Amino acid sequence: MQKPFQLPETSIQQFTLNNGLRVILNEDHSVPVVSVAVYYDVGSRNERQGRTGFAHLFEHMMFQGSENVPKAAHFQYISNAGGTMNGTTSSERTNYFETLPANQLPLALWLESDRMRSLKVTQENLDNQREAVKEEKRLRYDNQPYVNGFLRLFEMCFQNPANAHSTIGSMEDLDAATVEDIREFFRIYYAPNNAVISVAGDLDPAEARTLIEKYFNTIPRQPEPPPVDVGEPKEVAQRQDVFRDKLAPVPAFALGWKIPARRTPDYCALALASHLLFEGESARLYQKLVKGEESVVQIQGGIDERRGPSGLLIVVIPKPDRDGAQIRDTIIDEVTLLATIGPTEEEMEKLRNNLCNEAVRGRQSSLFRAQGLAEFALYDGNPELFNTDLLNYLKITATEIRDAVARYLVTDNRVFLDIVPAPEEMKGVPAAPLPPGEPSKPAAPPAQVPPPPTDPVPVEPIVELAQES
Amino acid sequence: MTPTETFRHELPAPLALRPLSIPRPFTTKLANGLQVVTVEDKHLPLVSFRLAFRSGDANDPADVPGLSDMMTHLMNEGTETRTSKQIAEEVERIGATLMAGSGSDFTTVAASALSIYTNEILELMADITLRPLFPQNEIDLARENTKQLLIQQRAQPTFLASERVAKVIFGDHPYSRVSATPESLDAMTHEGLKSFHDSTMIPNNAVMIAVGDIETAKLLDQLNELFGKWQAGGAPTINFPEIPMHAARAAYLVDRPGSEQSNIVVANPAIARTSPDYFPMLLMHTILGANASSRLFMNLREEKGYTYGAYSSLDARRVSGSFRVTAEVRTPVTGASLKEFFFELDRIRNEAVSEKELADAKSYLTGVFPIRIETQEGLIEQIVSIRMFDLSDDYLHTYRDHVNAVTADDIQRVARLYVTPDKAAIVIVGDARTITEQVKPYSNSIEFYDTEGRRKAVGE
Repeated sequence: MQKPFQLPETSIQQFTLNNGLRVILNEDHSVPVVSVAVYYDVGSRNERQGRTGFAHLFEHMMFQGSENVPKAAHFQYISNAGGTMNGTTSSERTNYFETLPANQLPLALWLESDRMRSLKVTQENLDNQREAVKEEKRLRYDNQPYVNGFLRLFEMCFQNPANAHSTIGSMEDLDAATVEDIREFFRIYYAPNNAVISVAGDLDPAEARTLIEKYFNTIPRQPEPPPVDVGEPKEVAQRQDVFRDKLAPVPAFALGWKIPARRTPDYCALALASHLLFEGESARLYQKLVKGEESVVQIQGGIDERRGPSGLLIVVIPKPDRDGAQIRDTIIDEVTLLATIGPTEEEMEKLRNNLCNEAVRGRQSSLFRAQGLAEFALYDGNPELFNTDLLNYLKITATEIRDAVARYLVTDNRVFLDIVPAPEEMKGVPAAPLPPGEPSKPAAPPAQVPPPPTDPVPVEPIVELAQES
Repeated sequence: MTPTETFRHELPAPLALRPLSIPRPFTTKLANGLQVVTVEDKHLPLVSFRLAFRSGDANDPADVPGLSDMMTHLMNEGTETRTSKQIAEEVERIGATLMAGSGSDFTTVAASALSIYTNEILELMADITLRPLFPQNEIDLARENTKQLLIQQRAQPTFLASERVAKVIFGDHPYSRVSATPESLDAMTHEGLKSFHDSTMIPNNAVMIAVGDIETAKLLDQLNELFGKWQAGGAPTINFPEIPMHAARAAYLVDRPGSEQSNIVVANPAIARTSPDYFPMLLMHTILGANASSRLFMNLREEKGYTYGAYSSLDARRVSGSFRVTAEVRTPVTGASLKEFFFELDRIRNEAVSEKELADAKSYLTGVFPIRIETQEGLIEQIVSIRMFDLSDDYLHTYRDHVNAVTADDIQRVARLYVTPDKAAIVIVGDARTITEQVKPYSNSIEFYDTEGRRKAVGE
């Protein structure tokens, strides 16, 4: 039933300014809208121990004003021009983006360039944003069931502190941040030669280029930031642990594996294997556990995509009175089966059709295009991958998937974490301070601004699992 | 710091305005009453379909809340010719999506695919819509799993807050029910689901919306073939009870001992989606709390640092609605946050908004409008609202005019009508032991509840 399909080509132009800023343009006149994305090559991977959470705290400071833009005016300027914006931080990068009516491109470039060249860092703004970040941590981590447990999983997977610690950081480290630290962070990482800007949408490339040169050309280049070491031994840090969760209403457990870096052949094969295992209701583990055995209420998985060693994670909420250990064995059996027989031809068809559908559906959005282009430019030095990466995935064979699963997932070198409800720990107010160097990795990258409530009726409380952004 | 450059001192002027072409949907009707709306857009090889029914959770029998939700969940779990597994495999094998879901006022079946798979996804969509089987084993499984999800929901402060707000604001009205209960789940049977499906999912109660890489004429042939024999029925009606009047401000604390934050909602009953006051309310909401540049965010987060975000929400449904302001704040500033909320609610009532705020809010709403219809999904959502709430056919084309027509006087008038702090419900999910004293100055009456939704004597 596989039908021939040609991905419509996304137009891409690229150039580099004298100060090292890499620029990517995508001209697409479908809707009179333009998206700008600025990606800085700094994330939690650049943080050292005792300084966790800095990249994300800094992201908040980027909205606190610069030479010509007053504190918090960034929000105002974008909204008042009919735009939307946000910023997020992951292990790999910090990004800032806005989508605006197409004729407001100069505004976005003015705002992004002013903070790249002249951010203002004051004690008052730092104190205020430190509080906002702490509320973000309470809201999305400390006041939620399971989330801090998932962060523990990353500490168990990764041995290198650069990989193991969380993007949100610890309260203690956030408290320790000084104005001088923040200024130094800006000088080192927020340089044009450490960034990519992409602009996608209803634009005239010549006009866009002239504007980008006007606003960014005079921002001085800085020395290259210190190199990052995200190297990992093959072994996980800790194979088994129990996390006592004061908010969890029922037990859960998680499994984690360390897998190769993004865009390596084995990583790509494992990304497809993970789709077959746990994406959608036809997935093997869903059909086996939620349907067949009826032993599991929810199963979710995800891949934490990184330039260095990455992670593959599965989280399970068993039915009451079901034996978690037995369910874990069933999961291992299913993984082993995939590593032995490999995907069926029907499954390969499913993968290929899903890859095409996701690629083309995403391309409707100018922001999706701007972000995808910036990411490939920053990580791979090649935004053309936005057009060609799909082909790499479509070429992967069933045998390659089978063999990658055998190499990386059928192993005792993996992580098991039991999350057990511990309501009695509720009484210990204030919540027992987390040990130093605490849990890691957000459910989604912490963002500048939370989404406003859209529907007064809550969605189902699906457990949010760490995913790439 | 780099040297001053004078061209940076001024906000840059926009470029020449680029035209927005708003699609004009084609509309027609099949013989059995099924309305059809199509928008051809061939720039990407994609299609999106949405079948929307004018009945939703509000139509659930009073003693079986969650029935619509369960019915839509089970539509994917077996038809006369396909098992649950076959449906999942066939949909995912073509890389498509197909799911049914219910909201307060309407129910939808949503499908999307690469346009090369249009025939396949339409056939699947028709199958789960017209011929779901509601197999007993799938009902039993869904019942057990939903009971577990209800336990999970009660661990979420946002759920607990919504549940209490809905009960306080909507009283006996069906909008007061936000989820199934263990008892209602036990009351759901194969026969009940089947008859509820057959009486609500009828063609003369529905609109089929198709957007993307389609040929309207060909699509109509396909729809006639797939949906043409579907029998019309009597459209479901329901008499909604009045929503309660609140004579005085009252507080409702949902005690969550040890909670890291207080989840605060201050709410009043407000307008239905079709109210002539909708656009003034939309502008008022935008200025007060719709986004990160609104008053609430600027005050509670940017100035005070009490929260990660503070917002308002304009909840306008078919027959009624509410207006809410909300934030999750750290426990010690619960009272201080209430002070700022009431300061902002009083201010929007007592002072006309400035010309600049009004102009900025209009610019925001008219500017983000094209972003909202950038994708097929975004455009379909808009058309669903238009058709389900009986908005005017030219709504997309006149939306920006309606926004621009609102005056500062209009905004103050609706604020005084619908934002009534002296009659507001204050709902807080948090650690009652720590926050009760902080709440007392803001309300003479405080009721306490546990996380199971049961009234209790006092905090602790």
